Formats: sequence, C-alpha cells, structure tokens
Amino acid sequence: MSIRNNLLKVFFLSLAMMSLPGGAIASDIGSPNLEVIKGLYPGNAYSPYAKRLFPSRVYWGETHLHTGLSLDAGLFGCTLGPEDAYRLARGEEIIASSGQPIKLSRPLDWLAVTDHSDIMGVATDIQNGAPNIMAIPKGKEWAEGFAKGGEAAAKAAFDLISHFSQNKIPEEILKQYSPGSPIYNKVWERIIKAGDHFNDPGHFTALIGFEWTSVPKGFNLHRNVILRDDGIRARQVVPLTTQPPIGTTDPLDLYQWLADYENKTGGQAFALAHNGNMSNGWMFPTVETYAGGKVDKNYVEQRAKWEPLYEVTQIKGDGEAHPYLSPTDEFADYETWEVGNLDITELKKPEMLKREYAREALKIGLALETKLGTNPYKFGMVGATDSHTGLTTAEEENFFGKSTSTEPSATRISHPFVETKLGSYPGYSLAASGYQAVWAMENTREAIFDAMKRKETYATTGPRMLVRFFGGWEFDDNDLRSRTPAFIGYEKGVPMGGDLTKAPKGKAASFMVFALRDPIGANLDRVQIIKGWLDKDGETHEKIYDVAVSDGRTIGANGRCKTPVGNTVDLEAANWTNTIGASELATVWTDPDFDPNVKAFYYTRILEIPTPRWVLYDKVRLGVKIPKEAKLTHQERAYSSPIWYTP
Amino acid sequence: MKSLLREPLIHFLCIGAALFLLFELFDDPAGPQSSRIVITDGQIEFLKASYARSRQRPPTEQELQGLIDSYVREEIFYREALALGLDKDDTIIRKRLNQKLELMSDDIAGITIPSGEQLQEFLETHAESFRTEPQVAFRHVFIDVAQRGYQADDEASKLLAVLSDEKSNSDPVTLGDRLMLPKTYILTPVGEIAKMFGKPFSLELINSKPGQWTGPVQSGYGLHLILVTEHVEGKLPQLDEIRETVEWEWSAAHRKELKENIYKEIREKYTIEFEQPTSNAGNFQAVSAAQAAQEKQQ
Repeated sequence: MSIRNNLLKVFFLSLAMMSLPGGAIASDIGSPNLEVIKGLYPGNAYSPYAKRLFPSRVYWGETHLHTGLSLDAGLFGCTLGPEDAYRLARGEEIIASSGQPIKLSRPLDWLAVTDHSDIMGVATDIQNGAPNIMAIPKGKEWAEGFAKGGEAAAKAAFDLISHFSQNKIPEEILKQYSPGSPIYNKVWERIIKAGDHFNDPGHFTALIGFEWTSVPKGFNLHRNVILRDDGIRARQVVPLTTQPPIGTTDPLDLYQWLADYENKTGGQAFALAHNGNMSNGWMFPTVETYAGGKVDKNYVEQRAKWEPLYEVTQIKGDGEAHPYLSPTDEFADYETWEVGNLDITELKKPEMLKREYAREALKIGLALETKLGTNPYKFGMVGATDSHTGLTTAEEENFFGKSTSTEPSATRISHPFVETKLGSYPGYSLAASGYQAVWAMENTREAIFDAMKRKETYATTGPRMLVRFFGGWEFDDNDLRSRTPAFIGYEKGVPMGGDLTKAPKGKAASFMVFALRDPIGANLDRVQIIKGWLDKDGETHEKIYDVAVSDGRTIGANGRCKTPVGNTVDLEAANWTNTIGASELATVWTDPDFDPNVKAFYYTRILEIPTPRWVLYDKVRLGVKIPKEAKLTHQERAYSSPIWYTP
Repeated sequence: MKSLLREPLIHFLCIGAALFLLFELFDDPAGPQSSRIVITDGQIEFLKASYARSRQRPPTEQELQGLIDSYVREEIFYREALALGLDKDDTIIRKRLNQKLELMSDDIAGITIPSGEQLQEFLETHAESFRTEPQVAFRHVFIDVAQRGYQADDEASKLLAVLSDEKSNSDPVTLGDRLMLPKTYILTPVGEIAKMFGKPFSLELINSKPGQWTGPVQSGYGLHLILVTEHVEGKLPQLDEIRETVEWEWSAAHRKELKENIYKEIREKYTIEFEQPTSNAGNFQAVSAAQAAQEKQQ
C-alpha cells in the first residue's frame, strides 16, 4: 500500500515539475508542501545523482560549423570534411587544412556540422577544376583563380560569395548542384553517414543538420536547421536551399519545410538564426518581413514554434547588446560588428540596430505578444563559432580563425574579412567565440535536442564556466547555503528558459544564480541579471543589476557596481593571473522593482576578469605587429537563456 | 604484409594500363597525333544524351549539327593545344590529373573488404584508440583556498583527520566549503572528470587507492579531499562489440596508407636532381641504391 502511495506522490510530483511556474504551481493539485517534496526527493539517498529528475551536468558543443563541403569554406581552402570536424570535436588531434596540427584543450560533448545547403559540394569541384565546372564560363574563371592560389584564389572565393548573396550564381551550376541531383544527393549522404558514425550515445553526440543560407541582397537572415533524428529519417528529405527556382529565402517556407519534415518522417527539427548584426534591420522584424510578408499572427506563431533559440555570439561578432541601444551598459560594446550587411554592399544606419540585437529582440517580443498573442522572439541563447575550417575553435589561445586563410599565420591579422569601397571588417576584429552549454539529462541526440527545445541552455564566448539560473517566488539566502542548491532550484522554481506566471499576492520574482569559472580558465568578475519589460503604455525598457561581484566590491543602491575588477593581463607574455576575481559567485536576488502586472524577462550575464584576446597570442607567438585599433584584452562572458514572467 | 601492400599497386598499374589501351583503341580510332577525326556513332549518341539532360528534350537535326561542329572544333583545338604543349605548366590540368590518379587509388581502397583477422590485428595494434576509459566513483570535500588563504592546508589536514577517523560519524556531505559541483559521483569516465575538475585532478583520482580518504588534491577551484569508492579499469572491447567502428577506422587508415604506398612505389622510379645544390635538396636525398646503380649504367 505504501509503495502505491509513494508512486502516486511521485506521479503528482512529476506533474508539478512539468507545470512548475514558481509559486503558481498548478492550483488543481493543491499547494505543494516543501517538506513532503524534500522527503520524496532522492536527494537524501546515498547517491543523490543516481535517480534525479533533472539534469546535473552541462554538455558543451556548438550548432554551427562549416567544412569543405560549404561552398565558401571550400573556396577559402578548407579541405576537411565532416568526419574530420567530428574527430577534432571529440578530442583527437588532426591536421588543419593549412597543414598545422591542432587539438582542443579538452573534448566537446556534442557537435552539429551545418554546411551551407546551397550548391553543397561545388567548392571541391571548383578547386579541382572538374569538367562540368570548366564547361561554364564563370565556373572556369573561378576555377582558374583558385588554381592560381593565394590572392587570386581568395578573390575568386569572394566573387563567388558575392554572386551567391546577390542571387547571381550561373543557372547551370545551380542545376547541377541542387537537391535531387546525383551530385547533391551524394554530398547529403556523406553528411548523414558521418553524423551517424560519430554519434556515440553517452559519450559524444553528432547532430545532423545544415545551414539554410538566406541572404537576400547581402542581408544576413541565415538559419541553421538541427535534426533530432538519425539517417533513417534524414535520408527521407533533402535540405532546403535558397537559390531560385527550387530554393527560397522566405523563412515561412523554411517553417513549412520543417513541418513537412516532421509530418513525413515522424522526426523532430528546429531552426535557429544568427548574425542579426549583419541583417541591416531585418532579423527581428516588427511590421513587415524582408520577404514581403507581414508580421502577423501567422508569422509570430510560426517563428515562435520553429525557432526556440537564437545564436547570440560567434566569430562575426557578438549580438547580445549594442552600445547605441544600451548606452548605460558599459559591457555592451563587446566584439561589435556594425559596418553594414554581410558583404558590405549597404552601410548600417543606427535605426537598423533595434531589429538586430538579442536583448532588443527579447523586448520587442513582449510588445508583439501583447499585440498578436504570441511572442515570436522568445528564444534561448546559443553561442557557436560559425567557423569555416571544419575546426570548432572558440578559445583565444587556440583560435584557428574564420576560414582556412585565417588559420594561424603572421599575416592573418592584416587581411580584412570583407572590404569594399564602403568599408571593411578588419582581420583582427574576428571574435574567437563561442560555445553552447546544454543542461541535458544525458549525452544523446534526443536529450540534447530536447534540452535545446526547452531552452535550458546558455551561450559563452568560449570559456566553459558553469552557470545555474533559477527563477521563482520563494528563493531566499538559506537556499544558497544549501549543499545541493540545484535540488532547491528545481524544487522551488524554474530553470533558465522557463516561465513564471501570475505572481502570488505580495510576492516579487526571485532568482538564484550560481556561476563557477572554467576549471582551466579565468576567474569571474561579476554576475548580472538583465531585466527587460513592457510598461502599461506599450513602451519597452531594460535595466541591468549587478547581483554578485568579486573582491569585496559593493553594489550601490541603484543595483550597479561601477568599480572595475582590475586587469592582470601581461601584454608582453599574453598571460594573466587569477589573483583578482572569484572562482565562484552565487546569490539570491529579488527584483526590487517587480510589478506583478507587467510582462518581463530576466537573464543572467556572467563576466570573466580581463584576459588576452587571440590577437595578443598572435603577437607573442608569431611576432606579429598589431594595428592600434585592435583590442588586446577583453572580458569573456556567458549569457543564459531568459526566464519570462507573464502576468 | 609487404606482398599485401604490393597487390593494390598491381591493381593500380593494371587499371592504368587498361584505361590507356581503352582510350587508344576505342576513344578515337585515328589517335591524337593524326590529322583525321573520326566521329563514331557512340559519340553522336553521347552528344544527344548530354543535350537532352540539360534541355529535357532531344536536339533537332540542326542543333545536332551545331553540337557536332563544336565537338569537332573542340577536338581540333584540343589536339593543337596538346601539340603546342599548352597542357604543360597549367596548374588546373596538373591538379585535375593528380586528382584523377588519387581517385583511382581511393576506388581501389574502396573495393578492399577487410577480413576478420585484419580487423583483429588493427584493433590490437591501435588498442589505445579503442580502449574504453577507466571509470571512477568518488566523493570529495572541497576546501576553498581563495576564501581560507593560508589556513586552507590546516583545514585540509583537520578535515582529513575527521574523515579518516572510523569512529567519527560526521557526514562528509556536511563538511568543507561550498562548490557548485556535486559532492558524490557514481562511476564516471576519467575524461568526463577532467572536463569538470581539470586533468591533473582526474589523474590524481585515478591513482588513488580506493576505500580511504586522501588529499588534499588540487583542482582548478581549490583543494579537495577525495575518497574513491570504486575504480573500474578501462578495457579493450572484443571485435564483435565494436566491429563497425573498427571497420570505419581501418578503411580511413587503409585509404591513406594505400595512397602513400602507391606514391612511394612510383617514386622509386624517379630521381630528383637540382640544377644547383640548395637547402631544399635535403628532402630529396632518399635515392635508393638500385636507382643509383641504374643511373650509373645510363
């Protein structure tokens, strides 16, 4: 009888966990008694981690990596394939396309290889001057440029990318390298095979995916597509492309593709966008979409459904916040790329920024939700490299660049990433960023995909700090002293990516946050909670709170600590010491300005103490002269997925 | 082993010879040096088929004539270009020919199916890449050096005494300072422990005697007293358990090795000479005795 009772208790507890929006625990099962739940919990068992109902580990990886199968990567000299990419990620030493040996400081736990779906595999054929390419005048021109090598090859590559982003790829090439053609099917099969082979449940997860590279007029509206499934399902489809006549640049068509995939195969998939900073105001539309549609009920519902995450930091700049939008945020100007669109055919205007950066989008999302019933920009945070080398490197002292031409060399700093008459993205401005941490139950495709879908993830600019973030109504300082805070976190609240609804009378939202530095990395400067909200007049606002700071500094009544942590970086040796900062910061914070009637979101930003940027390592190791404009040190960081409050 | 490796080279040379004969005999009966161009029925069929592939319909009579004209034009220019030696020093042509040769080698590698013995041997000679990791179950008590400063070591010895005292009934979970990481770990691969605590810590752990509290051991975060509760050695799985993985790794290694061996064998036929002695010559001095003797004769 007592076994049955316990089973019932467990059943109701799981129900409560599933719908656990803090204090608003589903009222139809009564209010939960903390003592009862504690007694039920395996936390009191000898091995508390054996039978837990929540993730106790983060798994590190990234959802954005290109190999030689991507046309631009291949043209820039990448000769590695998905197989090599997975080998490096799981910890093996390999040889990069530039001939240099490379190994990660420690293995990643999972990886998605996401090659550009358009004319996939064409790069290697152009490199090799395949007969079908030489028969097409433009193809011949590119192949010849490539064969000459060096500068001519780079020019050919850039010309090809421009043709691509301006929709001008010769029709004959498109036809031969489009989904359905024998060449294309062979490439897709190779990607699937590599994924299935390197996927090793419990040890290393290889996700099958691709990048849908929608870039009308050079406006970066790219999305990566991630599948939860294996080759059996992946083989039933071919990736969606963007070049007409088969392809499309309208995200609504991508959502249809995703729906078709799920219906046809019974599998699951989602998409995530990146580099809004190069979309020139089109990544997070509020009225009209670039494809000519309206931001209406259908658009916001579809976007919310298919895009649970957003890639907020990567090599082509950091997209969390912009100093123009957040003038009081002294940390907002981090790895900022703001010249123009992807190929710099149109310069940036300040009014575009509002629809490009994650923090602003989270705010806009609240307003759109009020207007249309669904928040289209309710996304979790992702960090990835977008590297085009087959090498997932996001660490400053082991950074292998954006493309094979920017693998370590004495000249890589001086070559601009893009340069036109209008402006340039200089070589030294590449950001050695980032990775994604996923709080998953285990290291399998299913568990990692599901965790991403519930947004229990955070982004970092490369370091692997550990971040826990819970929101609820009952957190207090005693919880912090608890020896198993994660148990309290899940018992009393929701994790990052979760929802709080309907504040109990007289209660303000409270948050418990823990941050532990990378075991081989730099100490932490501070923990911040960033709040965004929508007031009664429909205006959006944001506010930054420093909630835990190192070295005994004080936080003022306005919630800020304006005293910098200091800087120990030795510019001659590219070194720093952990004599400042803290290895762990933890706190419980209650929103002092909480208004139960106002929609809001909260996410945490963790800052490290200053450390060298990759260019400083180049200077010390390769004796490179660095331009004055290049930043030499920076504060790396983590961004958690938000927790949303909805009255 | 040597004879096995030679085998693919023979394949390689035979295929090469066969292709040569094939082209010589059937491609163009008149041969590239001749001034006669013979258009075979096969070629006309091929022209028609490629046209149909791109236009979704067969060519008209007039269009076919156009196709043939341009084929003739192409063939004439091709022969003249060859005669003038325009294929020499052309990077694209060189690259393409290199690629074709390498593809031949990959194709040969692809048709070789490894036997059970070969896989077993590969498994044994590459044991380190297939061995499962050692696993350790452990508990730890953390001492925060940043917080305790110079007293951290004292605190460590004090706590170690308490933990080692069999009569003491204090629960290790209640001892030490706070750390976000779990205090008890079930059997965990040593690589996973390294990801969480750093590599030196994981090595200390794996070398500790199970069943007794020891330390302090340093991690990236501070000091730890550790108790290994279980230690499972890594092992080399049986071939049947990981056959697919071994096959994959064998094929990757085989492709690489074959390409290298074919190159080495062909390379034997060549002598590399420099107009002037340069510092680069060092790479090319591996001239075999057989080659030297052969040269002397000439």
